[in-house]
Amino acid sequence: MQESQQTLENEQPSYWTSVGVAGLIFGIIAFAIGLVAAYAIINAEPTGGFSFTSLIGLLGCLVAAFGGMLATWHYANEYNAPITLGQGALIGLLTGICITIVTIILGQLWQLIDPDMMQQMIDASVANLEAMDMPEEQKQQFIDSTVEGMRKQGSIIYQLWTGVLAYGILNLLTGMIGAKIFGKKEADSTI
Amino acid sequence: MRSYQTPLYFLILVLALFVVLTALGGGLFNQSEPWQFEWQHQIFSGLCHQMPERSFWINGQPMAVCSRCLGIYTGFLAGWLLLPALSFFEFKEPSPVKKVLVGIVLINLLDIVGNLLGFWQNTLVSRLVLGWLMGWTPVLLFSGDFFKSKLKSKKDHHARITTDVGK
Repeated sequence: MQESQQTLENEQPSYWTSVGVAGLIFGIIAFAIGLVAAYAIINAEPTGGFSFTSLIGLLGCLVAAFGGMLATWHYANEYNAPITLGQGALIGLLTGICITIVTIILGQLWQLIDPDMMQQMIDASVANLEAMDMPEEQKQQFIDSTVEGMRKQGSIIYQLWTGVLAYGILNLLTGMIGAKIFGKKEADSTI
Repeated sequence: MRSYQTPLYFLILVLALFVVLTALGGGLFNQSEPWQFEWQHQIFSGLCHQMPERSFWINGQPMAVCSRCLGIYTGFLAGWLLLPALSFFEFKEPSPVKKVLVGIVLINLLDIVGNLLGFWQNTLVSRLVLGWLMGWTPVLLFSGDFFKSKLKSKKDHHARITTDVGK
């Protein structure tokens, strides 16, 4: 009995193709949205407010959380294999990690194309803060912490842990939902 | 009531709780740094526009997500907490729930587009409610996967028990 279960587990197709496909697609989408938003900030007039480009943000909202669902859909269709909820969650988590890695790699590559982007974003944010109506001392303090915050944002380790937490957890949930929606009937018996 | 896959249920519960607490932002913990650079805002920066005028505020700071996203996360958490109770309404087929879910996603999209085109003006609360429905509905898909009610009686079971007693 145990042997046959072991054999079944061994026969289960690998998740990695589905994880890689969904991770790559949603990683590129998440990176593109981030890039458009970054250049929108750079090119925006300093108004002294926090209102960034709304349309891009609204359309991009939550998009990257659906990688897990795409991965489970791909897995279920490609291999016609049953998926348990736990497997769906795992596929989603791995997809979230993959999205984070793709986003970071593309971000590093973009620095070769436009090495000044981060500095331009810092300058645009500082210009925006300088247009704010607040006491000079408080403004300076705000500018210092903003510059420090943006530099911290640029570090790979920081991007990795925030990305894995956000994309990892949300894609884990959507992966599980995907397993429930797209998983074959046989999955019910293995739960 | 019987429970199944208990570790997975509690893992999701803890993660959903973490997501909601993070989404509430730094104001909840009285953090002092500029809110855009709080770790809560950083975590959701790729997932939500985080526009302060479209978010609820706590202690003078906007939450880390907009009101619609807050609705999605709190709706999911509320549904997940209620999952044991939902097991009494176990759906034999997930397709009705799928249809409702698709409908709610479409209503949310319609609300976004209608607001962008100026047909109507949605509010923080209307977005929260629509988001809440979008977060809560997928949980219905899992009714019966983690908890099953023992109260269900089937005629064939009664017959079998009666026969056994007779022997």
